[in-house]
Amino acid sequence: MSYFTHQDSVIYLTVAAVTVFVRRVFGLHVVTSKEMQTMKLRIPKVFAVGAVAAAMLATTGCGGILGGGGDKTADSGPIKIAAVIPMSGSSAPTGVYMKNGMQLAVNEINAKGGVLGRQLALDLEDGACDPTQAAAAANKAVSNGAVISVGGYCSGATLPTLPIFSKANIPMIIPAANSQDLVNQKLPNVFLINGTGVQQAAAAVKFMVKDGMKTVALVDDNTSYSKDIAAETKKDLASEGSVKTALATSVTAGESDYSSVVHDIMGAKPDMVYWTGYYQEGGLIINQLKAAGYQGKIMVADGSVDPSLVTIAGAANAEGVLATMTQTPDTIKGAETWIADYTKAFGAAPGPYSTQSYDAVRVAAEAMKQAKSTDGDAVTKALTAIDGFQIFSGPLKFTPEHTLSNGGFQILAVQGGKFVLKDTLN
Amino acid sequence: MSENVDTSRAPRRIGKPASRFSRLFESKQLGWGAFVVAIVFPFILATPYAMNIGTTAVIFILLASGLNIVVGYCGLLDLGYIAFMAVGAYTSGIVSKAWDLPILFTIPAVLVMCILAGLIIGGPTLRLRSDYLAIVTLGFGEIIRLTANNLSITGGPSGIYGIPGIELFGLKLSDSVPFYYFCVVVVSLLVLGSARLGKSRLGRAWRFVREDEDAAEAMGIHTYKVKLAAYIFGAMWGGLGGMLFAAHLSAISPQSFVFLQSALVLMAVVLGGMGNTRGVVVGAVAISLLPEFLRDMGNLRYVIFGVVLVAVMVLRPQGFWPSRAFEVERTDGESENADPGPGDSVSPAKGGTL
Amino acid sequence: MTQLIWNGLFVGSFYALIALGYSMVYGIIKLLNFAHGDIYMVGAFIGFAVLSSVGVIPASMSITALLIVLLLTMIITGGIGVGIEYLAYRPLRNSPRLAVLITAVGASFTLEYGVSAIAGPNPKVFPVRLEGESFDFLGARISAPQIVLMVIAVVLMLSLNSYIQRTSMGRAMRAIALDPKGALLMGVNVNKIITWTFFIGSALAGAAGVMAGAYYGKIDFLMGFIIGLKAFTAAVIGGIGNIKGAMLGGLLLGLLEAFGSQWLGGQWRDVFTFGVLIAFLTLKPTGLLGERVTERV
Repeated sequence: MSYFTHQDSVIYLTVAAVTVFVRRVFGLHVVTSKEMQTMKLRIPKVFAVGAVAAAMLATTGCGGILGGGGDKTADSGPIKIAAVIPMSGSSAPTGVYMKNGMQLAVNEINAKGGVLGRQLALDLEDGACDPTQAAAAANKAVSNGAVISVGGYCSGATLPTLPIFSKANIPMIIPAANSQDLVNQKLPNVFLINGTGVQQAAAAVKFMVKDGMKTVALVDDNTSYSKDIAAETKKDLASEGSVKTALATSVTAGESDYSSVVHDIMGAKPDMVYWTGYYQEGGLIINQLKAAGYQGKIMVADGSVDPSLVTIAGAANAEGVLATMTQTPDTIKGAETWIADYTKAFGAAPGPYSTQSYDAVRVAAEAMKQAKSTDGDAVTKALTAIDGFQIFSGPLKFTPEHTLSNGGFQILAVQGGKFVLKDTLN
Repeated sequence: MSENVDTSRAPRRIGKPASRFSRLFESKQLGWGAFVVAIVFPFILATPYAMNIGTTAVIFILLASGLNIVVGYCGLLDLGYIAFMAVGAYTSGIVSKAWDLPILFTIPAVLVMCILAGLIIGGPTLRLRSDYLAIVTLGFGEIIRLTANNLSITGGPSGIYGIPGIELFGLKLSDSVPFYYFCVVVVSLLVLGSARLGKSRLGRAWRFVREDEDAAEAMGIHTYKVKLAAYIFGAMWGGLGGMLFAAHLSAISPQSFVFLQSALVLMAVVLGGMGNTRGVVVGAVAISLLPEFLRDMGNLRYVIFGVVLVAVMVLRPQGFWPSRAFEVERTDGESENADPGPGDSVSPAKGGTL
Repeated sequence: MTQLIWNGLFVGSFYALIALGYSMVYGIIKLLNFAHGDIYMVGAFIGFAVLSSVGVIPASMSITALLIVLLLTMIITGGIGVGIEYLAYRPLRNSPRLAVLITAVGASFTLEYGVSAIAGPNPKVFPVRLEGESFDFLGARISAPQIVLMVIAVVLMLSLNSYIQRTSMGRAMRAIALDPKGALLMGVNVNKIITWTFFIGSALAGAAGVMAGAYYGKIDFLMGFIIGLKAFTAAVIGGIGNIKGAMLGGLLLGLLEAFGSQWLGGQWRDVFTFGVLIAFLTLKPTGLLGERVTERV
């Protein structure tokens, strides 16, 4: 099997040799008193022989006992699609939206006969937004014989999964995570179908200029997603020239009192506050800004576009809050049937990243169909070549960086307690 | 604190002779048995997933044995141990990326940084009362994490990625199976090292400090220096764990070094039996593998962890597998035969030089 | 400037309420009740559960309803505190401190993730929100709810202080803090007093939880962790074991944080706070009002 090549066997022999010499070498240095010698740590001969025998076994390349995992990419049975998404921890609620979106796509495709004559099967693994757990989950998916990955929510937890999937030659279509660091690695098998921080920042700046803002305050929550957007926005504003960054600051996520940042904002007196973090803190900051008498505009990034933002901030305070957001079922004409299907299937309305997750599965299926195979290289090639495939954010064509050519960001505003489309930025 | 002396005698009060079962567990060959199990494991199951959780478990054993030096031997509660792992992981990540070095070449830098961190954290705080120390270490853990999150050299919140794998004598060990073996060997050596440390003269001083600091001081042990030594050894173990962690995941970010992780390492030490290397290894394996088996339970598993922690402390305060005080053997009479070699007893004069 | 001072004092009064519980328990049995910050979180969730089960409350009644819920929550969290003491701390009264600290960490875990298992990991929106007019005072903008909460906090702290100074129960507490064995010999029911101390400390933390929920509007199961650390810092600054010191320390820490984040930027605030804690413990471990405690052997 692939794990025991000739080169590896050298290592195993070294290991065995080291085992035998460990005691002598170690003993010489550490045992300094006679008392030490009374507690011997002698290698029982049986074990030593066993270890050497095991190493010999490896060198002969007798891989039969290895019960080869990792090669279970069987050519029959359902096609396994890996999805490492948070199912526990603080991001678990979003994980449910993503899971349902994926499942809906899988159900639809399977009802139409599947891909390449085979059914699709979703292999959900809990990444818990924790790098260590996500890496374990990715490895588990690889061991289960997944041929394509459609997961990835927290950028920090998605980064360590990239080398794992890429080593196994499994194409990744990342539906939600959108940190620039995912793009910067230039891995051939990684594709992002969510708008990136760069694109979101560009959209935000475009709107700020269009809306005649003179000064803005940028507030992030010190997570990679949020800081990414804030930093890009600041850069874009500097090169734009007409809008000044009055304040760029960070808060700590998970707290209740944001009076200090509110105080800073009130001191900087910006025309607009751009909050790039998530809705939990966003709601509190909006509330506390309004309580402090802030009169200017407030804009939030896509992580804050959630009905809870309005309830946490208070309906009156949230009214008129702007947001940069990719297209959602709510803002897409003709998506009503999709929302109805989703609600019928899962008994709940779709939420953040439901559409992207749904699309990720469809794109994966399309690529495999084009490639006429589940082989990693072929699918990657098909993904690179994909042109005009309809997804929620419009016709799909990847840039050379494997991101969307247009993030599809538009401006929403809260009206009557709901986010509605305000400006398509076209 | 007269009560404390009583509890310290607790293990010795187990008067009845050890049963055959427990004698089996006290066997000196047990460590080798575990080593062989670890070596044979990939022959039975070599899927990337099994190798991944195996490697994680092995690294976790290293962390637990490092914390065992601090908590188990010396009785200093450290609630921010993961900070040392963070220091090690970030140092190796930054150094290897900045100068394009193989990650093993960063070991000196890792050790220096960890010793420095141990000195900076331990220096001012080890003079404090034990419970102050706990919360200060917790604060330090948060400081390290927040600093890593705020600085640009550490990559900010998204951390560092693309850390090279291990290379040894021109052999690439970054594949899952070779890397697992590498970790097993390194960790076995370090665990053995920590067990040996616990039985050295310094180790006896540590236990003395743990049992009764005032008496130790009175016997001429420089308790502050001894505690600092424990702290620095713990820091080095943690830092090497961090280096392996960085090489293993190839990407590190502040999310990996939250308080929960410190608590999990502590739990491994406490459950296994403070001060007993074998117990700690078993505890570490259990704690790092359990979440994988309980994957579907979500947050409920942490409730179970919490309840178990309380229950173990209340019902079995020394852990499941407590250390038999080493001194016990010497009161048996048979060990009187052993010549009192140099440094064999903590004599005031010699202890004072520690 | 005045705004910063006011912000600091307001946040500080929350710290002070929680720090009181830390300080009382520490003063009496020298135990660092690690789970104390989580009692604050549990208080917020109990308030949330009670208020949501009642249904819609007319806005005019919200203050009254809140006070009733506050009392109810204080009783329940007090009971939880007593339960934790009974199950997790009392059996280890004579054990080394390390063991008790570890059970405290375990109790904290159980509370945090127990709440998350029951109520779900999502943050919850508090059903009653204190709304009110704001006005300017010496250049600081102060809102009516802030005044209400400050008044409640001050009333709670003052009544605790007079309780400890004036009543026989309070005298017994002080006696145990001074010398547990001596107090026992003089006929003080030590266990009863310790139970009562846990009750009062936890009730205060629960009250702070409800107040935070009603003021900020969002609660989540990890909200007690950081604030618990901060409250401990406050208790240390004031001199742990000293009731007045805890109040002073809380307010002072609030002020330090307000100015610290102004100078260093918001992302460095917690680093600054813990730095202050370490500086205090190193340079003046007794805190501002604490007395020198010699560890008796």
